[in-house]
Amino acid sequence: MSDRTYEILFIGDPNLGEPEVDALTTLVQGYVEKEGGRIQKIEKWGKKRLAYGVGKHREGSYVLIVTEGGASLVKEVERRLRVTDGIIRFLTVRVDEELRKAEQRKAKRTAEEEKRRGKMSDRTSAVHEEVRQ
Amino acid sequence: MSGGYGNGSSRGGPRGGGGRPAAGGAGGRGGGKDAGKRYFFRRRKVCKFCADKIDYIDYKDVKLLSSFVPERGKVLPRRMFGTCAAHQRKLTLAIKRARNIALLPFAAD
Repeated sequence: MSDRTYEILFIGDPNLGEPEVDALTTLVQGYVEKEGGRIQKIEKWGKKRLAYGVGKHREGSYVLIVTEGGASLVKEVERRLRVTDGIIRFLTVRVDEELRKAEQRKAKRTAEEEKRRGKMSDRTSAVHEEVRQ
Repeated sequence: MSGGYGNGSSRGGPRGGGGRPAAGGAGGRGGGKDAGKRYFFRRRKVCKFCADKIDYIDYKDVKLLSSFVPERGKVLPRRMFGTCAAHQRKLTLAIKRARNIALLPFAAD
């Protein structure tokens, strides 16, 4: 099986300082890499207000990690995230298929537009032709 | 489209969502051919995602999602924003994911 792309988004405890969040991120990155995942992107969104209280927190530090790997990666990383202190919530989403479909639709649409434009210019040139005669 | 009541904006502006449709019950029945006197000319709603050519509705894009979710966090029916069926399905999924990670509320208090 080819590898899949996953987005792992987790919320760190808001009481952690900047360096601690960084440490947490490296920790999670370590989990991923240990399972053979290739990191594509790491995004730190900083502290954001939560839409609802999680535990007793009203805000949290969001970190997004995009990675490529097999299904066993998610299983293990999620298990570890669950037992890691300082992470109040996480979400793993498989995105490769949806992104691929979106890509296909986009390609299809541009192709269609291309076609339409081609026809249009044909027609206009035909009109020009008539006018000239 | 059923409600295509020939008012100026068949295609023009992708003014999709905007406000709530001014009237809930004011004769929204199908064709409305003989509804000669209409108080509201309702602009035909166009699916914002189709108009803007958004293929993948990202659950992380809170700004986009929150424009389709009222304060309380409900997923609204399609008729509210005129989203097409395919995009409504994707929107719903994105909203549910965003809720899971506390980007959107389940139900505001």
